[in-house]
Amino acid sequence: MATEEKTKEILAKLKEAVIQYDEDASKEGAEEALKEGLEPNDAIFNGLVSGMEEVGRLFESQEYFVPELLMCADALYVGLDILKPHVTQLDLGVKGSVVIGTVEGDVHDIGKNIVKMMFDVAGFQVYDLGKDVPLDKFVEEQMKTDSDLVCLSAMMTTTMVGMKKVIDDLKAKNPDIKIMIGGAPVSADIADKWGADGYSADANNALKDAINMISSLKKLKEEAEKKKG
Amino acid sequence: MTENSMTSRERVLKLFAGEEIDRPPCFSGMGNVTAEGLKKFGYKFAAVHSNAQMMADSAASSYKLFGFECAVVPFDLCVEAEALGCEINVYSHLEDILYPTIKTKLINTEDEIDIQLPSDLATRGRVSMMKEVIGLLKKDIGNDVAIGAHVLGPFTLAGQIMELNTLLKLSFKKPDKIGKLLEMMADALIVIAKEYEEAGADYITVREMGATSDVLSPRVFKNLILPYLKKIFAELKKDSVIHICGKTNDIAGFMVESGAGAISVDQKNDVIETRKKIGDDALLFGNYDPYNILVSGTTDLVRETMKQCMNNGVNAVWPGCDIWPTVPPENFHAMMDEVKKYRR
Repeated sequence: MATEEKTKEILAKLKEAVIQYDEDASKEGAEEALKEGLEPNDAIFNGLVSGMEEVGRLFESQEYFVPELLMCADALYVGLDILKPHVTQLDLGVKGSVVIGTVEGDVHDIGKNIVKMMFDVAGFQVYDLGKDVPLDKFVEEQMKTDSDLVCLSAMMTTTMVGMKKVIDDLKAKNPDIKIMIGGAPVSADIADKWGADGYSADANNALKDAINMISSLKKLKEEAEKKKG
Repeated sequence: MTENSMTSRERVLKLFAGEEIDRPPCFSGMGNVTAEGLKKFGYKFAAVHSNAQMMADSAASSYKLFGFECAVVPFDLCVEAEALGCEINVYSHLEDILYPTIKTKLINTEDEIDIQLPSDLATRGRVSMMKEVIGLLKKDIGNDVAIGAHVLGPFTLAGQIMELNTLLKLSFKKPDKIGKLLEMMADALIVIAKEYEEAGADYITVREMGATSDVLSPRVFKNLILPYLKKIFAELKKDSVIHICGKTNDIAGFMVESGAGAISVDQKNDVIETRKKIGDDALLFGNYDPYNILVSGTTDLVRETMKQCMNNGVNAVWPGCDIWPTVPPENFHAMMDEVKKYRR
């Protein structure tokens, strides 16, 4: 086991690597974490995700914009890909599988990919349908995978209206399904009117929401560990 | 001055020329075809993008049915990318209204970035067809309303032909390479916009939607994109508008500096603040929400919003984006009526 000091150093390195969009440092940090025997979940949540939280703040204060966000996400994935195979899954009491995609007519997938990243981090099984996805495909994939969460993204007003149809179809087939919608034209009002369970208007909000979601999962996990311990 | 003393076309052209007009015009530089207009002719939306007469009929219908003070083509955002060699999807298999999108990108990775502009750009894809549509519109309603055409901005066009993730990251990591690409995009856009001008378009809207401050920093906008917008507007002979989506107050000054005749902002932007930033002389168009207000709002909300836009200091009542076709006729009429009865 790594000393407390060494652990701190590695976590700080992973965090900084994400903030500074330094893929090499992220790789080094992740390898070091494994070598020194850090708990991979610890390295992911308190290193990489903690870096992403700071990126969210920088984005909000307009020091960072979308290009920086994308580069930070790249750095996060480099570390995550190394750490993930070593994570021992804990039963979090949630099923943790999600269908995600950008609706037909829309070829923008940046916001969707940011949200997907956070699900990847949280250890969800992610069924990514990509962009310009025919509306029926969402329903089909949800039924096939029995996922309990579906995330729909649309970047343009001109494609947003397609989401309503998907929501109606999904809820008709499975009233318990949770649906998140996201994208620039989306509002709380629309989410409410169309019967979505959550919404995010931009990548930053999506990032924040996803981080909040993960934080609560983390709490569940810690509680589960306490009970076990 | 009374309402009948000038045509809609005169009102719009006088506005651009800085002359006195009776009230702000209610028009757009972006898509404004309605389901009602399509229904009148029995046209399917997916079919109108590639047929000159059908497009002209549909484009004129917002004026004929509602008195909207312009006709604008094209309806989709793919004409330029298609002329550059991209394949488009018009979703002809669907009954629902979807705007065409780009199927395949010309540039996926950094090493594919060195492309050449086709020498026959002016006649490729649907550029010639758009000229024909503009000609048809001029003949049909050209004395009554201004005919507009739109092209993308260089960065947004780059985003159409190039994988967006790569474009955004390289804008940050290798601005020189992206600058070179944007210069080429600007050259292509100048060729196409000039064709539209030659065909008789009264004004050109440059839609640089991808360069919003929601995506890119004002610094990147100023250093990387503004020079090429300037190049485009310096070449345009007719009246012109620059449109950028999202929160644009941090770059509103740059938008004016681009040389466009007017700046267009969307509903996320605080236009009172914009007016303070750009002064009283610059033309500001905006900024109602073309979906949440015009399509799903009540007629009262539509009227209230139009009044608010004008009270906030816009020179023309103008949507924040394409008008979504399913706008209820009573809302369209309410919008026109509210603007027409407005007096400063």
